[in-house]
Amino acid sequence: MTTATTAHDELHAGAAPPPHGWRRLLAPGWLRVPWMSALFFGIGLGITLLVRWAEGWHPIWDGQVITTIELVAVPFGFLAGIGGFDYWTRYAIGSPTQPEDHSGHGAYSWRDYFRINTDHKVIGVQYVVTTIFFFVAAGLLAMIMRAELARPGMQFVGNQVFNELFSVHAALMIFLFIIPAFAGLGNYVIPLMIGAPDMAFPRLNALSFWLLPVAGLLMLSSFFVPGFGCGWTGYAPLCSTHQELGAVFFNMGVQWAGASSIMTALNFLVTIITMRAPGMTFWRLPLLVWANFTTSLLVVIATPFIAGSQFMTMFDHIMHTNFFNYEAHGYVLGYQHIFWFYSHPAVYIMMLPGFGIASEVISTFARKPIFGYRLMALSLMAILVLGFSVWAHHMFVSGMAPWLRVPMMVTSVVIAVPTGIKVFSWLATLWEGKLNFSTPMLFALGFVSMFVIGGLSGIYLAAVPIDIHVSDTYFVVAHIHYVLFGGSLFTIFAGIYYWFPKMTGRMYDERLGKLHFWLTFIGFNATFFPMHYLGIQGMPRRVSDYAPRFADLNFFISIASFFLGASTLVFLYNMIVSWARGAPAPANPWRAHTLEWQVSSPPPVFNFDEIPQVVGGPYEYGVPGARHAVFNGDRVIEEEEVNV
Amino acid sequence: MSAHAETQHAAHPPVAHQSSRVDARTLGMFLFIASEVMLFGSFFTAYFFIRVVNHQPWPPHPFHLPVFVAFVNTAILVTSSFTMHWSLQSIKRGNRVGLQAGLTLTLLMGLTFLLTQLLEYARIGFTPHDQAFGTIFFSLTGLHGAHVLVGLTILAAMTTRAYRGHFSPEAHNGVEIGGIYWHFVDVMWIIVFTTVYVL
Ligand code: HEM
Ligand SMILES: [Cu+2]
Repeated sequence: MTTATTAHDELHAGAAPPPHGWRRLLAPGWLRVPWMSALFFGIGLGITLLVRWAEGWHPIWDGQVITTIELVAVPFGFLAGIGGFDYWTRYAIGSPTQPEDHSGHGAYSWRDYFRINTDHKVIGVQYVVTTIFFFVAAGLLAMIMRAELARPGMQFVGNQVFNELFSVHAALMIFLFIIPAFAGLGNYVIPLMIGAPDMAFPRLNALSFWLLPVAGLLMLSSFFVPGFGCGWTGYAPLCSTHQELGAVFFNMGVQWAGASSIMTALNFLVTIITMRAPGMTFWRLPLLVWANFTTSLLVVIATPFIAGSQFMTMFDHIMHTNFFNYEAHGYVLGYQHIFWFYSHPAVYIMMLPGFGIASEVISTFARKPIFGYRLMALSLMAILVLGFSVWAHHMFVSGMAPWLRVPMMVTSVVIAVPTGIKVFSWLATLWEGKLNFSTPMLFALGFVSMFVIGGLSGIYLAAVPIDIHVSDTYFVVAHIHYVLFGGSLFTIFAGIYYWFPKMTGRMYDERLGKLHFWLTFIGFNATFFPMHYLGIQGMPRRVSDYAPRFADLNFFISIASFFLGASTLVFLYNMIVSWARGAPAPANPWRAHTLEWQVSSPPPVFNFDEIPQVVGGPYEYGVPGARHAVFNGDRVIEEEEVNV
Repeated sequence: MSAHAETQHAAHPPVAHQSSRVDARTLGMFLFIASEVMLFGSFFTAYFFIRVVNHQPWPPHPFHLPVFVAFVNTAILVTSSFTMHWSLQSIKRGNRVGLQAGLTLTLLMGLTFLLTQLLEYARIGFTPHDQAFGTIFFSLTGLHGAHVLVGLTILAAMTTRAYRGHFSPEAHNGVEIGGIYWHFVDVMWIIVFTTVYVL
């Protein structure tokens, strides 16, 4: 650590001394946040009242409208206070700027993680830790739901509260955990993997992180304004005209989270296109980079549609417009079309980066090249394109135009083909490999097996007659948890364990990691597998009470889910204790070939002293003499070997 | 952590390898525009549902659309794209006065467009509450107006910088990228104008 401080001092040599006294209120940071937020609150309020007064709208003081405006204004104040816009403001008014200012790089104490920081590695850690916080929060909400569902009849919470629980649970898990957790892991490793010193737009990167806590707080606080209980899908007109103010908190939370993921995706794309190391052609990119490349394309193209849909419901709600109002010639089903045109691609946004992680982990721990590398990349592209043609399989029972059903059924089944290609490629990679069952590998294998189950129930659901029978039942709940928990979450765990040594410079406890895997694997299956059966028997989803004949299975599921919830404690304990006191990690504990493992753990502030030269594919395990990259004079690689 | 050779790490990042001929910021702007196009796309989808699928007459009976004013406004916005282009060409040739004049004119025309639009809103005779027609009219033109506002903010920054002596024949990336956005706003208006007023 001493050495790092030296580098830090060098960076700050020549920079202005830190401000003193009241001037500290002007410097970017937490001291500036309160008064800037208050200022923006005032501006938002002032403008609203002024416009309403000038236009003669009554009443001038409309609580709903003001709240909505403030959900935009106050976060801007917060972001301005923390320092998200300082550089651009200076640029805009033509003041001198310091484009090559590296004072925002690196973290030298835990405090640096609470500041605006432009280092992709710090941002990656900020992302992962924040998203795990929301993961735990959303998980606790699920525990309350399972407690309520343990027996038929009403136990702990009322209907409306139950609705709020599952709505916020899903919203947090999707928008504040799975999507940004992948963005965080990608943030940390993509620049390292492609041999770049940082992301293309470090300041944009910092800003996109700080939008997340804003979005998360909005969604959490939707409990305390009269609640948001119309489901994460936010269907109109239920969510537009029949809801309380909490729905607006959800609408705006989605906007902030969506803006964050568009900004990150744009950054990923530009970084991957323009900053690859010499020799790093597209066909030599690690599959994680490919996966994030396709995901980012999906995000940039699809996310604006959910933004649009949330604006429309919000306007219908607050301004009484008529997008989805049948009486005024609005088109009610329009909401679902626009929403699913985003949200089906979004299920791939939640899955493709996981495919990438699984490929990295499986190849490294099987000590074999990825089977069919090019086809792996191409099938990602196929999923990207096909993903836009299946949205209405969520609407088979909505009353939409009947001729849409069969085409959407066909495309939904077809999209399983590229997905199947990937599964077979993982299996072929494992075939005759020298398997090493470390925790990341266990989670990756758990992912492959569970995801196949989820994919199969997806095919069932894509068949119109079956879907008509099980739509809106626990069968769908089982499907989404097999793909999102068994799929996405398992790969997130695999990724966190895999890169933990790189990110923290310490090893996690392997025994606890394995224990965590087995508890999760068993708890997960015990919780979600019986839901298939419940669904086929007709138990509806999103209800707080159910017929007595479902009681036994539900009791079993609730017990299993508490067990599953408790398994997370093992994970948290392992992460916290290992981060503080784990054994120091060597540069390359997994003997992987990709570039992030060729630098120290954690990597130096600027990743590489000189940009490496890429000379081969990333997965040439067991191929004699094969190398992925060479460093000038091979210095770094030699060091690493001494270290191991 | 062993202190192996860490002291030798550079205090400055290595120069990133430029792996594409495309300029990073230009590419970023194009991707941003792609997502903006999709945002408009979602509102055009709503427009499609309301007007085509629901067979709404356009405009429905008592209402009228001020096509002529909108046409004049379109002409103003299209002209501003040319002045934008002119300012960029000027700075490429080192003509600072041309840059400043071009940007100022663009800014003024953009402002005129926005103000005309707001005045029209006030006397158009219907509101966002008047049927789905009113909703989609105001949301499409309003969404576009919001983009004009963003474009004007960018233009204002560019103009300020131009008057404060920034930009040169070698370094005019800011003008170029801001200009791309302004052209996007312009093209988008032509589409909105055609679908909402003309067709
Ligand atoms: C083989 C590919 C897949 C097919 C054919 C498929 C098919 C379907 C169908 C037809 C539904 C609608 C069920 C209904 O509401 O009646 C559905 C729901 C859902 N699927 Fe999939 N799926 C697939 C993969 C995935 C993946 C990979 C994910 C996410 C990682 C996912 C996440 C979801 C979610 C979240 C829902 C429920 C949405 C809601 O709340 O209503 N699916 N799936
Ligand atoms: Cu779907």
